[in-house]
Amino acid sequence: METVFVAPIAFMSLAVFVMLVLITAIIAALALFLGATIVQLVKINRGLAIVIGAVGEIVAKTAPVNGVLDAINSNLVLGRNLLENLFLKKGGDDCGGLVESVFPGEGAKFLQRVGRRGPVVNTGTVYTRGVVILASLGRGAPIGAAHAKGPAVRDAQYSTTAASMLYPRPGGDPKARPKSPVVGSNAPQKYEATATPGVRPTLRDGSPAPEPSAAPDMPMGRSASPEPSGRVEIRQPDSAAAAPAPNRLNVKGKRPWER
Amino acid sequence: MIYLWVMNIILVVAAVLLIGLLKGVLDAAKSIPPTVDAIAGVGAAISKDLDAVVVLLTTQNYISQIVGSVANYGGSLDVALPDA
Repeated sequence: METVFVAPIAFMSLAVFVMLVLITAIIAALALFLGATIVQLVKINRGLAIVIGAVGEIVAKTAPVNGVLDAINSNLVLGRNLLENLFLKKGGDDCGGLVESVFPGEGAKFLQRVGRRGPVVNTGTVYTRGVVILASLGRGAPIGAAHAKGPAVRDAQYSTTAASMLYPRPGGDPKARPKSPVVGSNAPQKYEATATPGVRPTLRDGSPAPEPSAAPDMPMGRSASPEPSGRVEIRQPDSAAAAPAPNRLNVKGKRPWER
Repeated sequence: MIYLWVMNIILVVAAVLLIGLLKGVLDAAKSIPPTVDAIAGVGAAISKDLDAVVVLLTTQNYISQIVGSVANYGGSLDVALPDA
């Protein structure tokens, strides 16, 4: 044993021996640490494989989200545009004030978003509910033009009085309106009494009505011969039969009592 | 001979530095697997939570029907109410 370990030192100097030992130690340390690092990298690789599987599931499950959300958003935008256009069409210049009455502070933003300008008057503050309803029913009333400049048309206690003051004469001047028709024995316009219901002795122009014809007017397509042939005959309509009779008052044919 | 001893000193210093660097790399590598495991757990939980995304298709259908109803309602209002 002594010859085995002493022999290298005997053949080389101490400095060379120390150098060889250091180099060997360095190589051993490199191998040890690199081996441990490789083991850790293998663990990392396995963990990332699991993560990639979960991430793949996430990607697969979230893939249709964009399309679905875009479709939902487009549908909602369509509905919003429809309602806004309807609101602008029906509300007119008061649309900003209506929005302001429901969502305070949003009336001006709404007008700016739809590209309109004008003052925003909070309709809920200016009008009572009855006045707004009357204003919506009476288009062209002065309330539509007065509320933007004048004072608030509002009477908290007598709102109906204020509304009636806005429409003092509904329908115009009462003297110019036609009176209601009078019925009864004192009626100014009397109609002739008929003794024979259903028979009109005179026409509308006052001329005497012609005597009703004895022969019934057969409908077109039937035979007028008194002798039935037992079969249905179809004849062509002639111009004389197709022309309306002079005493014919109903375009669909004679009345039942005239046949 | 003196050069050999200088080389030995340099080798010692290099060995110390090398071991320190390798230890740092090893510590960093050891700190990654717990994080990766945590990420894998979170990813699995996220994937499980995303099972409800399929309901968005039903929501889309409902939204489409609601917008259709709103359109019909708006058409009726357009006829019923006078224009401004």
